[in-house]
Amino acid sequence: MLYRTAGQFKTSYVADQALFPVRQDAFLLGILLVFGWVIFPLTASEFTFQTLLIPILIYALAAMGLNILTGFAGQLSLGTGAFMGVGAYACYKMVTIFPELNPIVAILLSGFFSAGIGVVFGIPSLRIKGFYLAIATLAAQFFLVWLFEKWAWLYNYNASGAIQVPNLEMFGIFVSGPQAASVTEYYIVLFVVTLLTILCINLTRGNLGRTWKATRDMDIAAELIGINLMKSKLTAFAISSYIVGVAGALYVFMWKGAAEPNVFDIPLSFQVLFIAIIGGLGSIMGNYLGAILIVGLPVVLNVIAGTQVFQMSALSAFILIALVAAIGFLSWVARSGWAIGAVIGFAVLTLIYGYAQTQGFRIDSALIEHINVMIIGGLIIFFLIIEPHGLNQLWRLIREKLIIWPFPH
Amino acid sequence: MKHFTKLAAAAALGTVMGTAAIAESLYTPNLAYRTGPFAATGIPLMNGQADYMTLLNERDGGIGGVAIDFEECETGYSTEKGVECYEKTKGKAIVTQPWSTGITLQVLPKTNVDEIPILAPGYGFSPMADGKVFQWAFNVPSGYWDAADMIVQYLEQDGSLDGKKIAFLHLDHPYGKEPLPLLEKLAAEKGFELLPIPVGLKEMQNQSAQWLQIRRERPDNVVMWGWGAMNAGAITEAVKTKYPMENFIGVWWAGHDADLKLVGEEGAGYKSISWSFPNPEAPVMQEIKEMVFDAGLSQSNEEEMQGVFYGRGIVMSMILAEAIRGAQENFGTAEIDATQLRWGLENLNITEERLEELGMAGMVPPFSTSCANHTGHSGGWMLEWDGSKFVKVSDLLTPNVDGYSDLIASAAADYATANAPWAMNEECSATN
Repeated sequence: MLYRTAGQFKTSYVADQALFPVRQDAFLLGILLVFGWVIFPLTASEFTFQTLLIPILIYALAAMGLNILTGFAGQLSLGTGAFMGVGAYACYKMVTIFPELNPIVAILLSGFFSAGIGVVFGIPSLRIKGFYLAIATLAAQFFLVWLFEKWAWLYNYNASGAIQVPNLEMFGIFVSGPQAASVTEYYIVLFVVTLLTILCINLTRGNLGRTWKATRDMDIAAELIGINLMKSKLTAFAISSYIVGVAGALYVFMWKGAAEPNVFDIPLSFQVLFIAIIGGLGSIMGNYLGAILIVGLPVVLNVIAGTQVFQMSALSAFILIALVAAIGFLSWVARSGWAIGAVIGFAVLTLIYGYAQTQGFRIDSALIEHINVMIIGGLIIFFLIIEPHGLNQLWRLIREKLIIWPFPH
Repeated sequence: MKHFTKLAAAAALGTVMGTAAIAESLYTPNLAYRTGPFAATGIPLMNGQADYMTLLNERDGGIGGVAIDFEECETGYSTEKGVECYEKTKGKAIVTQPWSTGITLQVLPKTNVDEIPILAPGYGFSPMADGKVFQWAFNVPSGYWDAADMIVQYLEQDGSLDGKKIAFLHLDHPYGKEPLPLLEKLAAEKGFELLPIPVGLKEMQNQSAQWLQIRRERPDNVVMWGWGAMNAGAITEAVKTKYPMENFIGVWWAGHDADLKLVGEEGAGYKSISWSFPNPEAPVMQEIKEMVFDAGLSQSNEEEMQGVFYGRGIVMSMILAEAIRGAQENFGTAEIDATQLRWGLENLNITEERLEELGMAGMVPPFSTSCANHTGHSGGWMLEWDGSKFVKVSDLLTPNVDGYSDLIASAAADYATANAPWAMNEECSATN
């Protein structure tokens, strides 16, 4: 109905190989871009910018970088956090040594430093594979974080050992640091993320992307058909680390404002890896969906816990719509009774909680945090059981079903 | 445009959070951590803070007739969550209490733009003492450089430090590195050898390598800047390696009763500098017991309420309450805003008489602040673990602030330059 492809004829090879063979895809993306570029910036509050929009975009970018390496080229990496750190420290050094450097240029340049380091730590991938390579990248993780702590030149010999983002100006507007408005920071992040996403989509569709996928699926076969494995793996490491490094620079300069070395420690690597896995390895859109689930959802849950669920509020209405939509899709796409049961159970618990609130029940903050962690963990398991290939695959199934609707197969 | 985004932000925030607001109250959120690796040391402090505010609400109906909304926002000591909490609460808050040096470092530049006072009792960035530069930040009643100076003074009571060796066991984190500039300066002046030994966040519970180094180097004293799981790790390791406990001194955050109860008698002699002292017999403690604890409004327990940290939490809330009261009296309004509270924090005058009135005599040394002095430099006492509790073993030690006021001024100036343009308090004419 919504996704009817009837009448969309392809009359040339170019049209057949277009980025969006189905017109509705382009239309949907257009709507999302309008939301991202116009509606969100006009309506979002400071809180929404700082805890939802900016971090989701930055984490999605980092996961996209990792996805190039792990999802497309098949090289497992646990060093993402440290490569983000390289980008952040490189950007910090550049803006403090050359204060007149344009901040966006500095952020885009800082990726080259992490790309270089990524290639160096990628060299072992020529000999070792799979889990063994993961251990080799783990070494990069530990070594680099140690270096951020011990090499005082990197943080300009600050007594605290942390890097602090200065106020940076561009055309008379503060774009980074405490004086910068959130909306400016958001636009810069959105610009960089959009730019790199377009780059990634086209890279993975092109010659290089096919080389990576061949290397991932069977490297011996790839070598036999004439693919240079060294070139394929090292370009994957370089491009992946470049994107991760840019994400790291944005992470500190456009969001956190200050960072100590242990911010880039292994929990950050795991978080980015989880986003990539839950979003879907080998996909671009999955990174955004994964980031919304892992980064955005805990914040939303926290806000719900502090809101009176029964009182009129845009948020609780949105939650109810989301629940109805979730039940609808699950009964139709996944056809799994227990999944529907779980969603209904969750809704009932929310209603009970809302009722308890009207009776003067106020939950204390530590308990909220514990419940929050449990819900997020439960949802990760839930989505991976529903669709082991990640949220991206879930969306693809929904889309397929919509295209052939009303026929079941 | 800026005006419009602010309006839109306010409207959006209002629709999302407006429902949680309670009319006629002063909103003083606390970025607490009752979860995570530092929860063991955080909980007694948070309980003390919350219980004192509950007492004021129960006994006096708040401060100046307005109830205090002392809501907690859970951070788990993570800077990411801390910033989230700051953004969530800053709309209505008249003060922010960031509760970790990492969060303080991130929130500090933001408060200068958002114009919200940041209250960091006994932690945070030591140069915050310079009120002219850090006009919105307060680390009353004593900062880390005060602590380092008092510890060195205490050690000097046993004779000159010339030629001695002092190991500085610290958390490898902005918090642990905070006193290093002062200790290096004092080492050069007094001729002792300073041996910094960092403990990584991952090694907190397993410090065998660090204590092996201490055993090899045989320092005359070990000074510890530890927090959370690191304290218990260091103290048990010191007992295991038979390091003489009387030569082992911690900062005020390393003087937690529960950590020492782990070793009990064997920990006797361990010392900790402190600007607060628990007095379970004090009138205020009795009132809290009756009106808060017995009424079931507290999350604390009998044993915890005897401890140093619970008492310190009470002192922290007392400082905030006194600032609110001062501001209310000065501006003649009960519902003060952030700017008025800043005046209150800049004009604190906690005297012996006032402490007596509050029923808190002996729980904190008297101190006062000014627009130039945001710390107060109250001084403190050396506490010693006698095997079952902490006891005072020194008279009131006062930091020799003149010795490092240049260091404070230059570090504050460096911070302002690095963060230019940085709004400073130009009107303040008082001196340190």
